[in-house]
Amino acid sequence: MATQKGGYTPSLEKFLDSLKSRPVQASVELLISLLKRRQIKGSEACATATAHILLQVVARDKWTNVDQLLGRIQLVGRKLVTAQPHELATGNIVRRVLGLIRDEASEERNDATTDSPRPASPSPSPSASASVPAPSHASSPPKPARPPTLASIGSFARTQSMFNLLSDPNLFPPTGSNASTPGQVSGASTPILNPQATNVSALRSEVIDGIQEIMDEIKMVDEQVQTYADIFIHPGDYILVYQPSRTVQKFLTRAALKRKFTVFLAIDPSSATSSEALYASLLKSMASNGSSVITVLNAGLMAYMSRVDKVILGARAITAQGGVIVDSGGAAIARAARERRRTVIVLGGVYKLSPESKLLSESRVEWGDPSKYVSFADGSLVSHVRVKNAVSEFLPADQVDTYITNLGAHAQENLHTIIADHYKEEDINFDLYGKAQRISGGEIE
Amino acid sequence: MSQSKGGRGGAAAKGKKAGKAGSEEKREATLQAVACLIADDFQTRFLPFSLDKPRCLLPLANTPLIEYTLEFLAMNDVKEVFIYCGAHYEQIERYIQNSRWLPIAQSSPFTVLEFIRVADARSVGDFLRDLDGRGIIGGDFLLVHGDLVSNLSLEGALAAHRARREANRDSCMTMVLREAGDAEHHTKARTKPPIFIVDPRKNRCLHYEEINPFQADRYVDLDPTILENAEAEARIDLVDAQIDICTPDVLALWSESFDYELPRANFLHGVLKDWELNGKMIHTDIVTEGYSARATNLQMYDAISQDVLGGWAYPFTPDCNLLKGQTYHLRNDNVYQEDDVLVEDNAETIDAVIGRDTQVGSKSIIQNSIIGRNCKIGKNVRIINSFIWDDVEIHDDAVIEHAIIADTTHIGTGTAVREGSLVSYGVQIDGKLDIEASTVLSLHAHNRSPVESQPRVVGAQGKGAIFQYPEEDDAGAEDFEKFENSLIYNLDQFDIDGSSVSSLGDDDFSDDDSEAASATPSQPTSRSRLSSFASDDSGTPNFSSFHADAVHGLLEVLRGSMGDFDSEKLEFTSLRLANNASDVAMRKAVATAFVRRAVELMNAESSGLDAAKAAKEALTSRTGASSFVADVGVGGDSVSEQLEFALAVQKACVSSTKVIEVGKAGNLLAAMLQQMYDLDVLEEEGLIAWWEDARGKEGEVMSVVRAKCQQLIEWLENAEEESDEDDDEDSD
Repeated sequence: MATQKGGYTPSLEKFLDSLKSRPVQASVELLISLLKRRQIKGSEACATATAHILLQVVARDKWTNVDQLLGRIQLVGRKLVTAQPHELATGNIVRRVLGLIRDEASEERNDATTDSPRPASPSPSPSASASVPAPSHASSPPKPARPPTLASIGSFARTQSMFNLLSDPNLFPPTGSNASTPGQVSGASTPILNPQATNVSALRSEVIDGIQEIMDEIKMVDEQVQTYADIFIHPGDYILVYQPSRTVQKFLTRAALKRKFTVFLAIDPSSATSSEALYASLLKSMASNGSSVITVLNAGLMAYMSRVDKVILGARAITAQGGVIVDSGGAAIARAARERRRTVIVLGGVYKLSPESKLLSESRVEWGDPSKYVSFADGSLVSHVRVKNAVSEFLPADQVDTYITNLGAHAQENLHTIIADHYKEEDINFDLYGKAQRISGGEIE
Repeated sequence: MSQSKGGRGGAAAKGKKAGKAGSEEKREATLQAVACLIADDFQTRFLPFSLDKPRCLLPLANTPLIEYTLEFLAMNDVKEVFIYCGAHYEQIERYIQNSRWLPIAQSSPFTVLEFIRVADARSVGDFLRDLDGRGIIGGDFLLVHGDLVSNLSLEGALAAHRARREANRDSCMTMVLREAGDAEHHTKARTKPPIFIVDPRKNRCLHYEEINPFQADRYVDLDPTILENAEAEARIDLVDAQIDICTPDVLALWSESFDYELPRANFLHGVLKDWELNGKMIHTDIVTEGYSARATNLQMYDAISQDVLGGWAYPFTPDCNLLKGQTYHLRNDNVYQEDDVLVEDNAETIDAVIGRDTQVGSKSIIQNSIIGRNCKIGKNVRIINSFIWDDVEIHDDAVIEHAIIADTTHIGTGTAVREGSLVSYGVQIDGKLDIEASTVLSLHAHNRSPVESQPRVVGAQGKGAIFQYPEEDDAGAEDFEKFENSLIYNLDQFDIDGSSVSSLGDDDFSDDDSEAASATPSQPTSRSRLSSFASDDSGTPNFSSFHADAVHGLLEVLRGSMGDFDSEKLEFTSLRLANNASDVAMRKAVATAFVRRAVELMNAESSGLDAAKAAKEALTSRTGASSFVADVGVGGDSVSEQLEFALAVQKACVSSTKVIEVGKAGNLLAAMLQQMYDLDVLEEEGLIAWWEDARGKEGEVMSVVRAKCQQLIEWLENAEEESDEDDDEDSD
């Protein structure tokens, strides 16, 4: 299914364009059908669309208190998630926004009750997180590239989540109103019971700002992730990438500016024809900086594995336990790398890190159109053979060495702290899926 | 970024009807679509199910067909939809009123969704002529049918269509076709395989034909002008889901041809044939990605269900949950299951769709089947390749193999329903029965009157009887209907002369004696692309095109599929004048048409008419046939004209030896002549003159065929002597 830009086929750009001219409810319904029809797909597109639609809900829907707003976001969120349960990013953004609202509301309330002045928020310099000392070897769990202040706060981390979120990218100067006093541990408490005290319009603008920051964060992921490129790619390295996403491509391009290394570009045979155009810019910039790219078809990968130093995969989603959802084919490569004891690095924005723990094993894998492997024109195969084509695959946690997000490099053990920083517990447990998931909730990884 | 103005323009046009007098830009911006949701195409393919429900509301993988169609339109950013309904329009309207598609509902992607009722419509053609009359279509529009399942993006096809239209105003239509390979394919139309003759360089469609498996000969008549194109491909490897991108010119063409009924067999064929007259060009856009198919009959329904289950129509898989309230999830073993489904642990489900609140008892096996909501399936039941709709009760130990079981039916304990059976709404089948293969059970007759239960079939406690399809006056048509209506594609039960489509002659009764490659239709050896055509070796191009058109037209009338002889006579004469055809050509055409019809009758039916009956049927079944032969074919009373016509009949019979045995051809010739004599088309003098004419004895086959008439002639000579006196009065 070709989704060209322009023309008639609805796409993310057109959806975003039309947001303002459409009633919120209509936009929600439109997004649902776009998600269902897979006309918006991929975690970044889904996350962006979700953030935009939630912004519209906050900005334009009528609500008079926080509970109402939370309920509204939960309702819309659940609809979006059920429309395309395989895209975990949708649910992540919904939870992030819910947490944001809770934070803002609690601040409002705190502001109303206590007039204590806020302590000056520590603002780490933009270079602080980027210059976190690189781990000597990539396979050793790197230290979380997070401002040390927060890591040490521990029990206050949750309260500070909003602060975290804003200060970590370092590109947005923390707005004073967003930092809450560590002493007033109330962020975790749920509904705000005195709506009168809440200044709706102030809250609205705060939340909108917050969502806009989430949107910026999604946009900035590639740039932030690529700042770690030099640390992980060394001169003379042999790097294997599989159908590199834009994030991975930028990562390589950035590394190529300073280092000379060799990239094995693994491509699925079925998409080999269209790959030239997709990776043209990567090939060009790699070549201009003196690094070489070798295109390899997926089938012969195992033979190259002995030469490879590192495998870099782009994540579609990362689960709390460290499992990664990757493009189909990626899991086999990771297994091959594991056989040879090669380092597997996964790239992806923090927004791809999902707190969802009640996932059916089936819903991690999306099954697509078999025409990737079997031509529909082959009548006897179509009639008599059931061909399954996985769009995405699940990579168990033990096959990944390092995760690089826009916050830095993390080991598997640190993932849950990032989750705790970004999501509120009540939102983590909030069930965005339908009944089916709840019933078989036992089947967790 | 090249964002289209389509989206924004569409949004701007929101809430307003865009049709009238829109500026050029507006028309560019809004793609109108007319969804022709014709319940049964005025056909009866989905009987007995379509008695109670229109075809487009029948569930395919538990979602009504129309949902897929509307979803396809929404996917391609269609903004305005006009729906034409045939039978059961109230049900369709009610369905849409309660759906998310209504423009008032905020969820609707459409700004306009209108129902148009046409009171006296009898065909798709009537709808399109009505649409032309309304003048609501200002620009390009999309014509689709309500039983379409497709995930194609029309982006490319639309751009190509626009470019062609810019270049040449006469490019009026683009058909979007899906390639499906040369080999047998369950999604390709098998009952009436279409043949597209396409110029591969310009994608222009040059000729269209449908092959009827009951047709005696399997040739396509090609206009020699087609060969003037540098390249032409005959494509039989296409799935035609009838997705047409049309300009308003198409509607005008429909209006001009008031007798066109079907978009393909009549309209497309006709417009392409008259290309030199109207100058309109129709193009094809053959796609190799994506899925598109129409559930035109039960076999296609079966095929599309399998494709949806197999993920070919992705993203339209059951777990896409198109309908509000659906909660399908994909489980292991490719089982799509809704919430609240109870499948016992030791039941086996593979490749299935199971709707909400359905219970499956222990040790039951469900394989490759689709089961609706709220069904109760007992223990030890076997359901293979079947379609079970909603609220069905299937008791223990029942077996259902490749059947369709409609809503609220009961299947008793231990009953077996065999391949190809159709069980309509509300039928109850008692226990311990064996429903034979291809049994059709219903509570109603085809005219909707309730029928008395047949305990012999459904058991003492059962309800329902064997469904009788509406009678067709034409024996051949009935057979074909039966073939089209059945769930399983199976030609074995029909006696068909199996010559494949592999060789094309532009004059199928040419002197070319080579045998068509013989193959059974189920294993076609035909190639899809044939760049070479048999050369035209009979007469001038003009003559040949006249011959092909005339024979085709006459055959249509003789088969009873359209028109009558009064209008045909008019058409024939005009055709003759247009082509400046000679008397010889006329005779040849008339004789060929009638002989071919007779041959069809002899060959095609399972009933198998003998030569005499076939001749009689061909010449008498349609009113006006005999006078047509006398007036147009023979053309006068003179002996020489009768001689010439008899000779033409003989030649036609000789050419028919390609499809029937020589002996039979002889019998047929004798029978034809006898019949014409009985009908006073030919007289003794003419026949005897023919018998004595030397031309009739040329060549081996000619004389062999002729020999069979010996008896007839002898009898004629005797009769003449005996009734000499009477003849004196008659002859002058």
